[in-house]
Amino acid sequence: MAGQAWQTRQAMAPDVAIVSYALPTGVDPPALLAYLDKRFPVIAEAEASRSYTVLDTADRRLRAAGVDLDLEAGRGGTRLVLREAGGRAPLVADVRRPRRHRYLLRDLPAGQLRDRLGPIVEMRALLPLATVRVGAQLVRVLNADDKTVARVSLARPMALVGSGDARPVPLTPRVDVSGVLGYAKPLGRVTAAVRRGPKGGLVDDPVSVADEAIAANGGDPDGIRTKVRVDLRPDQRTDRAAVAVLVDLAGMVEANLPGTLADLDTEFLHDLRVAVRRSRSVLRELKGAFLPEPLATQRDALRWIQAITGPTRDLDVQLLDWDHLVSGIPADRHAALAPVRALLVRHRAAAFRALRRELRGPAYRQAWDGYRSFLAGDLGPARERPDAKQPIVDVAGRRIRKVYSRMLAMGADIDAASPATDLHELRKRGKELRYLLELFGGLWPRAVVKPMVRSLKELQDMLGVHQDREVQATYLRGLAGELASSTGGPAALLALGVLVDRLDAEQHEARDAFAARFAAFAAADQQALVAKVFS
Amino acid sequence: MRVVATYNIKGGVGKTSAAVNLAALAAQDGLRTLLWDLDPQGAASFLFRIRPKVKGGGGKLVRGRSDVVDLLRGTDVEGLDLLPADFSYRHMDLALDATGKPTRRLRKVIAPLAEHYDLAMLDCPPSISLVSESVFDAADVLLVPLIPSTLTVRTFAQLGDFVSGEVAHRPRIVAFFSMVDGRKRLHREVVSTLPASNMDDVVASAIPAATEVELMGVERAPVVVSAPHSRAARAYRSLWDEVRPRVGV
Repeated sequence: MAGQAWQTRQAMAPDVAIVSYALPTGVDPPALLAYLDKRFPVIAEAEASRSYTVLDTADRRLRAAGVDLDLEAGRGGTRLVLREAGGRAPLVADVRRPRRHRYLLRDLPAGQLRDRLGPIVEMRALLPLATVRVGAQLVRVLNADDKTVARVSLARPMALVGSGDARPVPLTPRVDVSGVLGYAKPLGRVTAAVRRGPKGGLVDDPVSVADEAIAANGGDPDGIRTKVRVDLRPDQRTDRAAVAVLVDLAGMVEANLPGTLADLDTEFLHDLRVAVRRSRSVLRELKGAFLPEPLATQRDALRWIQAITGPTRDLDVQLLDWDHLVSGIPADRHAALAPVRALLVRHRAAAFRALRRELRGPAYRQAWDGYRSFLAGDLGPARERPDAKQPIVDVAGRRIRKVYSRMLAMGADIDAASPATDLHELRKRGKELRYLLELFGGLWPRAVVKPMVRSLKELQDMLGVHQDREVQATYLRGLAGELASSTGGPAALLALGVLVDRLDAEQHEARDAFAARFAAFAAADQQALVAKVFS
Repeated sequence: MRVVATYNIKGGVGKTSAAVNLAALAAQDGLRTLLWDLDPQGAASFLFRIRPKVKGGGGKLVRGRSDVVDLLRGTDVEGLDLLPADFSYRHMDLALDATGKPTRRLRKVIAPLAEHYDLAMLDCPPSISLVSESVFDAADVLLVPLIPSTLTVRTFAQLGDFVSGEVAHRPRIVAFFSMVDGRKRLHREVVSTLPASNMDDVVASAIPAATEVELMGVERAPVVVSAPHSRAARAYRSLWDEVRPRVGV
């Protein structure tokens, strides 16, 4: 793929850009070509066709970052092409061994393209979301010297839907107009003419081909959400608000289940667990909106799901943190740690097999179906649910104030001699508060909620590191017996000791930061604000 | 950004033809490519149908008073941009001499473009001058077209000595035979016997004396674009395939 002159220009001086339009119904590319031919000296090149697969993470991180990543198979092999909305030239990487289901970062060849993707996709897998075939005709607009001064690409995209004999589904034909570096004026004339277009003008800024193709394939172009999207009114009944949020969260659990079962990447399970954890918070914090008995059953069901998914997630965290942790110990110990990592990988595989068995088993189906029925069914007489008819703004506000006060008391009792479990309990309470603010914070002014979330997040991050290192160190210490009998065991044990020391050191560092983080969270003005706003 | 300069002390040896064709091939290979037409005759600019005119002239440009970005022009080859020639470049020696550290100047002019291009190709005027010294300083690779003749060895040795002795930043020298007429015995002999003294590299690919190359002035396009399957275009492709790894792009 040739770098585009306009892209270089756009990166340096963004006055010459690519502009996309959708052709309105009844105007096809030949009609637009005839229209252009009447107004400018043009050369129309032969139509060229290309097929590609749209790659993105399940939560569309690339789209959010303004990046398109296509997998193109051609005679010369398969390659990845990355295009940026920001105007940089495309990055291309050859793929030696094309994969069917996913690409993790480590599957990509080293180079600029992988470096660019790294901070965006992180640990997420790049998945094939749609397959597109585009027939495009390039029309070059010339000046008096027959020099190209603007380019117009007329494209007829199609989504290929279904596997095997894929069925082509036509997408909206579109026009891309791009400038040539140093020829801004002709570009302006061409753009103005295209915008007026035949039959009353073209559609600016159309939905992207990728999004249209994903939708044609039955997918959601927005990908799997991690944020709850429910319009709540302050005066809404608490039970209805709670159910609306819980239904949205249940959708997230279900959306992440196939990716979890296929083990596409670690974040499907993570996001599934977060959705379950948030649901548990809602049931706990808004318990007055439900009858005690079905509530207890459903809370047990969700707690069980949380429990069966825990071991795999703990080991995922160990492996995700591995490079970071190992980087902090002397290089001459790294090789000795290989058996430790191998053991973690084996444990993780075993934990995942057990998890998959559970998630595919009758107990999970029964628990989940029961929970869904609970959300869809009659919640019972409102008179037996004291908060049911209360406005959500009152009930959620009361809970935010209460949990915040409880955290203040718990945090104030923590000193250098407090056991790690005290910090863990505070963290659990902090999660409750965070979920309340994330799920219901929209009922209050953003200017109040945002700083509160920020100081809470900083405290939680510190508590999270503290707890993760505790769990990791405990787990690694527990590997000692198994390691001792393996090849390279003695050396691995010594290196393991260094690694555990490093975990302890990071835990201590986190703990040292506690006083300052908690002070910010518990600042007098923050307390006054909470008392005032959430009263 | 890696910098390649097509250079020979003699004129009419195929520098411009090599510069425009290799630059076009680089762009076709997906490299973001810049071609700077340093020759006041402006042949490369002409071939791309771009006016050989630089606002403020060469003097302002080398003094750092022009925004080089504003002077760039896109060519008809996607991915290839041109910094055009200007007739004032004929006085570039004087303009350089009036600056501090004149031999570092051209490197400085293109430095702001480094993040936007993978490759810069400098098409140099013939001669050994302050301009060529500044080109040697800016270039990672000097690409030297050689017409097979008895004087070739001598000219070449001169260049090797000069670059070794006078230039602080020594570019890699890569040579190739240009305008080769296989019917001439002398050409055949020189091509097979040229010693590689003072040369980092003489590549195997040779550019033939071909009508298509001469027709570039009529077509006003690189031969690799206007006649991509011609013998000359194939020779440039073969040359680029040999040169590219030596440039490191």
